Amino acid sequence: MIKITGLEKIYRLGVVEVPALRGLSFEIHRGDFLGLMGPSGSGKSTLLHLLGLLDFPTAGTIEIDGVDVAGLDDDERTDYRLRKMGYIFQDYALVAELTVLENVMLTALAQGKTESQAGEASRDVLSIVGLSNRLNHLPKELSGGEQQRVAIARSMVNRPIILFADEPCANLDTANSQAVLDQFHTINEELSQTIVMVSHEEWHKEYFHRIVYLKDGQIEREEDRHHHGD
Amino acid sequence: MTETLVRLRLSFFLGLRSLQRGNIGSLVMTVVIIGMVFTNMIFLPSVITGAIKLFEQQTIEFQSGNIIIEPKENAEFIDDLEDLLARVNRVPGVLRAAPHNDIGGVMKFKGSRLPGSIIAIRPHDEVLVTGISRMMKEGQYLGEGDTGVIVIGRLVAGHEDKSEDLMPSLGGVTTGDSIDVEYTNGVTRTYRVKGIFETKSYMVDPLVFITWEELESVRGQPIDQATSVLIRTVPGEDENEVKLSLIGMGIQEEIKTWHDLLGKAFAEVVQSYAVINNISTAVSIVIAIVVIFIVIMIKTLNNRRQIGILKAIGIHRTTITFSYVFQVIILAIMGIIFGLMILFALDRYFTVYPIVFPDGDIRPAFTIADIVSNAVLLFIASAVAGFIPAWQIAREDILTAMRG
Repeated sequence: MIKITGLEKIYRLGVVEVPALRGLSFEIHRGDFLGLMGPSGSGKSTLLHLLGLLDFPTAGTIEIDGVDVAGLDDDERTDYRLRKMGYIFQDYALVAELTVLENVMLTALAQGKTESQAGEASRDVLSIVGLSNRLNHLPKELSGGEQQRVAIARSMVNRPIILFADEPCANLDTANSQAVLDQFHTINEELSQTIVMVSHEEWHKEYFHRIVYLKDGQIEREEDRHHHGD
Repeated sequence: MTETLVRLRLSFFLGLRSLQRGNIGSLVMTVVIIGMVFTNMIFLPSVITGAIKLFEQQTIEFQSGNIIIEPKENAEFIDDLEDLLARVNRVPGVLRAAPHNDIGGVMKFKGSRLPGSIIAIRPHDEVLVTGISRMMKEGQYLGEGDTGVIVIGRLVAGHEDKSEDLMPSLGGVTTGDSIDVEYTNGVTRTYRVKGIFETKSYMVDPLVFITWEELESVRGQPIDQATSVLIRTVPGEDENEVKLSLIGMGIQEEIKTWHDLLGKAFAEVVQSYAVINNISTAVSIVIAIVVIFIVIMIKTLNNRRQIGILKAIGIHRTTITFSYVFQVIILAIMGIIFGLMILFALDRYFTVYPIVFPDGDIRPAFTIADIVSNAVLLFIASAVAGFIPAWQIAREDILTAMRG
């Protein structure tokens, strides 16, 4: 489903070149719950940003369903992210002036759905994450765990083919982290949602089907826990 | 729905919510500033327009009527006056024609001497053509057939303390006083001052009037000549059309509308005022642009990370940019409405308490054209001022923006 070949990313700081990824090649299968783990500076977030089309690789290809998305221009990438990808960030990244329902409706509206269609789809996913009773609350009125569940609902509303989560539990306590990971587990199991998640917490491994360990911008090893992919 | 409409709809949604749930203090401050700028854009031009209108009104009302007939080139008088008046009064669109006949003389009062023109009028016609009879400061206006009386302007009457006068005067004449007039034909008459008028026009208040019968008595013969004929047109009639009708009747004398009379010099004055208006408008627009630019720049910088996130989740940069443009548009509309409320209050106030100028009481003239053109100008300027900072931030690299 996603085929990464020879992926490189070099940051240029003045005349100094800092290689962040050094020719990664691996595949992500449909329905995978893939963990990206490794020490700080190993290239986890950089890899996630490249896979999520938030940044451009220095070299290499990222093929999604046979299309090399690394070569898309800015507008095509925006459209691809909207229609095919979902994102969850560690600080929830909700729009402060929008209610829970409106935050989730946002990407549905951007896809051209009517307000009632977007509202209906949003209520459905908010019910999956257990926030049907918080529709008209503003983000500041929610706990961290609840905000992250809103972010999950937002990322899910357009039924993306792949969902990227960048340390989604970094700002949560253990109980809330567990609730969020349970949520990921549920949508992965019940909806066969492909998820790629960056984490550095050892106990998160329990949830992943597969783990790619990175070190110094390279794949150190891969661990297949209970593979569900195609 | 087309992609553009989808983006605009979402922009409006984001912009509206940001205003509804954003910082209310910042919103009120911006609306007040835009409202004040709009008021400033309209108010000064309205005062200037009011002054121009006052001058035009004074010209029509007290000096020339809507149209004035003057002697042919190189002629001193309009001859065959009665025939001319009969013809003019038959022209469609003419309400009434009033002849004037000027004669030179020197007025004397308690040692003061004041040379000038004394104008003979026919009060019955004059009251239908000019408004001087309604501007009596004291005493009464001339009546048909009055002799031995004179009506003078306030600048002729003057003050006992001549330092209070802006121009030479008779030094404090009041109604009922007697003044002597020594005409250029050598005749001297003593007149009782029947009334003093005050129009506040520097062109009119130095004038002096006697009746036609009085002038005939001074000249010692009936007079069928005039130095000018003032014409009042029917309200709503096009003065140029009436002028053409008069020419079409074969009138050989000079026929001028009040506009022709004011001529090129006045047009240049109006043009100079227009330059002042334009400078004032330009300054106001620059203030509006700078304020809105700063407000939106601060807002976008504060929301930089949020803008990055919106882009990351697939919201197009055009949608983000226009969400700020819509905010500015809404702020501009609210500001303009606030400005209109201020202008309405000013209009009410100055209707009751006009601005007192030496040349008359000026009421700011708020024209729909001025209001609409300035509103459109402010609207466009606001949209541009909001667009630029939002566009700058929205085109920033996603990860850079997300770092805040």
